[in-house]
Amino acid sequence: MRRWLLISVPYLWLFFFFLVPFFIVFKISLSDTEIAIPPYTPLLDLSEGWAGIKDFFSQLDFENYRIIFSDALYVNAYGSSLRIAFISTLITLAVGFPIAYGMARAPKAWQPMLLMLVILPFWTSFLIRVYAWIGILKQEGLLNHFLMNLGLISAPLHILHTDTAVYIGIVYSYLPFMILPLYASLEKINPALLEAAADLGSPPWKSFWQITFPLSMPGVLAGSFLVFIPAVGEFVIPDLLGGSDTLMIGKTLWTEFFSNRDWPVSSAVAVVLLLVLVVPIVLFQRNQEQQREREAGR
Amino acid sequence: MSDPLTAAAPTASSSEPHVRRARTPAPQSGFAPWKDPAKAPIVRFENVVKRFGDFVAVKDCTLDIYEREFFALLGPSGCGKTTLLRMLAGFEKPTSGRILVAGQDITDLQPYDRPVNMMFQSYALFPHMTVEQNIGFGLKQEGMPKDQIAVRVEEAMTMLELNRFEKRKPHQLSGGQQQRVALARAIAKKPRIVLLDEPLGALDKRLRQQAQFELMYIQETTGTTFIIVTHDQEEAMTVSSRIAVMDHGEFVQVATPGDIYEAPNSRYVANFIGDVNLFEGKVLSQAGGFVEIEWGGGRARFKAAAPAGVSPGQLVWLSLRPEKIRITLDQPADGNNAVEGKVVDIGYLGSISQYNVELSNGEMVKALRANSASTVERPISWEDRVWLEWPADAGVVLTR
Repeated sequence: MRRWLLISVPYLWLFFFFLVPFFIVFKISLSDTEIAIPPYTPLLDLSEGWAGIKDFFSQLDFENYRIIFSDALYVNAYGSSLRIAFISTLITLAVGFPIAYGMARAPKAWQPMLLMLVILPFWTSFLIRVYAWIGILKQEGLLNHFLMNLGLISAPLHILHTDTAVYIGIVYSYLPFMILPLYASLEKINPALLEAAADLGSPPWKSFWQITFPLSMPGVLAGSFLVFIPAVGEFVIPDLLGGSDTLMIGKTLWTEFFSNRDWPVSSAVAVVLLLVLVVPIVLFQRNQEQQREREAGR
Repeated sequence: MSDPLTAAAPTASSSEPHVRRARTPAPQSGFAPWKDPAKAPIVRFENVVKRFGDFVAVKDCTLDIYEREFFALLGPSGCGKTTLLRMLAGFEKPTSGRILVAGQDITDLQPYDRPVNMMFQSYALFPHMTVEQNIGFGLKQEGMPKDQIAVRVEEAMTMLELNRFEKRKPHQLSGGQQQRVALARAIAKKPRIVLLDEPLGALDKRLRQQAQFELMYIQETTGTTFIIVTHDQEEAMTVSSRIAVMDHGEFVQVATPGDIYEAPNSRYVANFIGDVNLFEGKVLSQAGGFVEIEWGGGRARFKAAAPAGVSPGQLVWLSLRPEKIRITLDQPADGNNAVEGKVVDIGYLGSISQYNVELSNGEMVKALRANSASTVERPISWEDRVWLEWPADAGVVLTR
């Protein structure tokens, strides 16, 4: 009995805070817009009994999904989001790997402090940190000021409100999510393995690709998914740092919802986004599962 | 015999582990290259010193190891034996001194450029590679063609009876199998010298004994020089041609297992190798290659072979192995050394029994007696007054 109580807690949580909201969103995505409160129809009216329920269901359709897939704007927004998220993930991996590697190789006594430094940015609001990048990247911002004072450039660089600024923002914001799993997997590698590789004739750079990198693969995958999945649906960064031509599905969704007040279409956009992300999420879960099994096997 | 490490039947009553000793070439009885001044050593440590900060791990060590030797570095943890081995492998740089392999100075060579391969204490098997890939790793680094690697890996796996496991990952193997993969990996490149860092430390006692004989078999059939680091004196005695007993970064004695056991040069070595009884005494007189030692403030006098450079009045220790002592109920006839005591403990060890005898000054002495002795004799029991007796040449007089 107590076991059931304990197990039911997370399931109840998931039911009320994930499944129920999801079905509400899904239902809205099958509805039509209307100038009303709430701005869509039909609404379920139980006072008319069985006929009301039948009427309610007969009015639901997949029209909004047809709109999404026939309108190039949405398709492009999904494609662009996936592309930006993918490239950002690669950059984050390239930046995060040396940092995580350095941390794992640092003296044991330093490591807790270095970990703290990686987590430290979380103490400030995400929104404020992204706003801070506006101050750095804008025409008369810190970066241009600095580079011009050094004499490296003569005219200010146009970075803010471009895709470059979006990449910078995503890489900066999600870097800790890449570093932490990478560090966890690199730190576990027995240093004797590298000695064994050297002993058998492998110079350090070859050992890196033959031993260190393959053994850090679970961390590489975990970190990449942790960056890629939220980056696809990112709204704040493209909205604040991106330009008018930066197309990301999170921004499209926001515009649809708040500017156009088209709840049904934006709900459909959200549901499709979720379906797009199911594949990487399942892959991520599988990676985690395999890692657990490997560790249990040891 | 499919798997030498699991095939040993639990019914085996003999203390000798069931191994393939029969197939091994007869041990070279006259093998003693260290006595041949014309022979050049394969490994030479020349005044090697290693400091870690203030701590001196290795103090001015000079040592020659010869081709085909099975050389053991023996000592307690922290005595510098592992540091010495790691300097030979290239993982540590000597603070001063030189290391030569076959006459070539390798002190400044990187580990991956050295003609030695090491078997690690933790085995250090690559967890993401199969048994085959682990064993072939060193050959792959040499750029050997794949088909030749396969032949050499096969050869090493056959020697260690690993053929059924080539596609397994290390975590799918038992401890004994992992140990054999680690050994196979270390010999696959056919190096001139194989280093073994506590290679059998993780195995249980039964498996360890078998693995010791397997190590000897591999060493003898491949004709490689093996250098083993161990804290287990029995292991060192079993496998090695010579042993260097180390303490605090120095060699205390370098000799064959027989010499180390029969003629330890110090109390440290005598205590470290096997069981020993030490009688502290003063030299009374020296004559005809023998000394007379006064023990226990005049309680008894013992005669023993005189070591070099003792003088009357000097404090010495008579080291006596328990099996060299005869234990009797009756006072022995004159001639041999003898001392009286009381039996405090008897340990039955199967074929032999160990008697712990308390002497009149409270010192404890261990004596062994074979249980095959005639049953007509009255058995020695607890609290019995007994005599311990040994000939003058049974013990060794130690001066330090």
